[in-house]
This record gives sequence, C-alpha cells and structure tokens, in this order.
Amino acid sequence: MKAIELLGVYVFPLIIVAIPLYGWVRGVRVYEAFIRGAEEGLRLVFDTLPYLVAIFVALSCFRSSGAMSLLSRCLETVLTPLGFPPDVVPLLITRPISGSGALAITAEIMRARGPDSPVGILASILQGSTDTTFYVITLYLGSAGIKRGRHALVACLAGDLAGFCAGYLVWRVMFR
Amino acid sequence: MNSLWMGLLVGSAVVAFFTGNAGTMVDSILGGAAGAVALMIELTGIYCLWMGMEKIADESGLVNDLAKFLGPLLRPLFPFLRDHPQPLSAIAASIISNVLGLSSGTPLGLKAMKEMKNLMPPDEDEAIDPMITLIVINAAGFCIFPSSVVALRAALGSANPSIVAGPTAIAGLVATAAGLAVDVALRRGRRK
Repeated sequence: MKAIELLGVYVFPLIIVAIPLYGWVRGVRVYEAFIRGAEEGLRLVFDTLPYLVAIFVALSCFRSSGAMSLLSRCLETVLTPLGFPPDVVPLLITRPISGSGALAITAEIMRARGPDSPVGILASILQGSTDTTFYVITLYLGSAGIKRGRHALVACLAGDLAGFCAGYLVWRVMFR
Repeated sequence: MNSLWMGLLVGSAVVAFFTGNAGTMVDSILGGAAGAVALMIELTGIYCLWMGMEKIADESGLVNDLAKFLGPLLRPLFPFLRDHPQPLSAIAASIISNVLGLSSGTPLGLKAMKEMKNLMPPDEDEAIDPMITLIVINAAGFCIFPSSVVALRAALGSANPSIVAGPTAIAGLVATAAGLAVDVALRRGRRK
C-alpha cells in the first residue's frame, strides 16, 4: 500500500518533466506544441460551458426544492432495516450529482463520527467508489455537441449502484 | 438529455410547490449557473496544462506508442475503432490518467469525444456506441489510489488514512464492470 501511495505522489511531477524531455529528445518544438495544445484546452472549456450551466441549474433546482431530501428520506426507510447507516444515505444520492457536495458530506460524517469509525470508513469507501456521473456525462456529451446520450445515463447509474453495493458489502465483511 | 433535464426541472417545481421551498430556489438556481462558470474557470488552467502536455506527447509519438500498447486491451470494448483507429490513443491516455488519478483524465477524454464526433455526419447529435463506452468507463472512475479521500481522512486525524484504498478499488472495479455490462447489452451497432 505504501508503494502505491508513493506512486501517487511522484507520478505527477515525473510526467510533467518526462513528457517535454522526451519530446525535446525526439526533436519536437516543445514550447510551440504546448501552446497549441493549451489553445485547444481553452476552446474545450469554452464549448462545454453552456452544457454545464444547463445541468448545474437543473441540479440546483433538484437540491433546493427539497426533492433531493425527499428522495433521501424515502431511501432511508428502505435501507435502514437492511443495516445501512442512515447518516450515509444522503451521500448515495449526492455522489453521482455533485463532486464537491459529496466530498463535503463525507467530510462532515468523518468530522462528526471520526474518520476511523465504521460509518466514517463506509463514507470514505463510497466517496471513492465512483466519479460524479452527471458531471462526466454532461461534460463529455457537451464537448462533442451531442444532445442525445441514448443509454449512457442508464449504464452509468447501473455502474454507480453496483459500485455502492460492492463497497457496502466489502465494508460489512471487513469493518463491522 | 432532454427528458432528464425537463424531468429534473418539472419534478423540482412540483416538490417546491408542496414544500414551500420556492423562495429559496431562486438564489440556488442563480448560484448554480454562476457555479458552473466558476468551476470551469478553475479548471481552465488544468485543462490547458494537460492539453499542452498531450500535444507534446502526441508530436513525439508517445501517445501513439501508448495506443499501440493498450490497443489489444481496449479494442474488444470499442469494436467501432477497428475501422476508425484515430480516437484510440486519446481514449487510452484518458483511461490511464483516470486509473492513475491524474487530472488529465477529463481533458483527454473530451479530446477523444471530439475525435469521435469528427467521424460522424456533421449534423448528427446522437451519441455513438464508443462514446457511451468511454463515458461509462470514466464515470465509474476506477482509480488505483483514491488520493482525495485519503488526504481528507489524514487531515481529519485518521490513524490509518489509506485503509480504505483496497475496498474503494474493489467497489470501483465492480462499478466499471457493471456499467460496461449494461452498456454492451444496450448497444445498437454490435456488428458494425
């Protein structure tokens, strides 16, 4: 585990140095290439912005109207008898919708109950088990100017659900 | 996307009507719109950095080598790319970045989406199979080390911050596998 942790620290600076060095050795005009790439990055952000505004507005509605906490309460009545800690239920709904929101919930659970408490560990596992689905779908489809995503959402949410179930089961076996 | 968007808006309006939350919605909606722009401004620098790096790696042949290396692994998941191999290198680079937990995963994924879009008729606005497969893999976001969660745990005084890494990786793998299974089952052009 230590080795993987070290990899996480060193791989970033290594890549930032190694890529230009390799290009330079191979005779690429590295500075000019970087600038051209960065320009592409700028256009990418610009093209994607309208899609992101649209989904952020819709998700804000969903959160502030109380629809989200309603859904959370419904899920709680189903999941609590199964032994799922009620504190962590809001995380299940927030995780696919908002990356920063989910991280805030995870931080709050760990602050209140301790990062090494069973509940804190479950929140950590679920937080890391998937990415922010709605954000990824919106960004990816938006950058290509795609308006109809077909089964992208269904497949992604099925993945999230399976990831949550797997995370919960591993947690039950290892930490409870 | 149309029905998802309308569903979220109309569903929220109905709930707001019954809960009396309509007043607080105004601020939150405006905040959401501003938040999208704020997030993108924050990400612009990171995107420019990685797209610049990608261009250097591309011109030095590095991206191509990566695609050649990962091609045999990815091609069964992206049958479409047997006839159209150009996006493969960006797809490979994006997935590798996500697995390593690098912030280059998203910009490279978006580049791959653009390359796939270029293979489609210009006025077509419906996603093709390999686009959805890439989205499914990156939305599941399998990562060998969940650095942001581990950093958060350490900051909050955990005695063993990285104890969650193993279970998280298992959950991520299951999420990826399940998403791909549903994707493959719902694909249209399986024989294309």
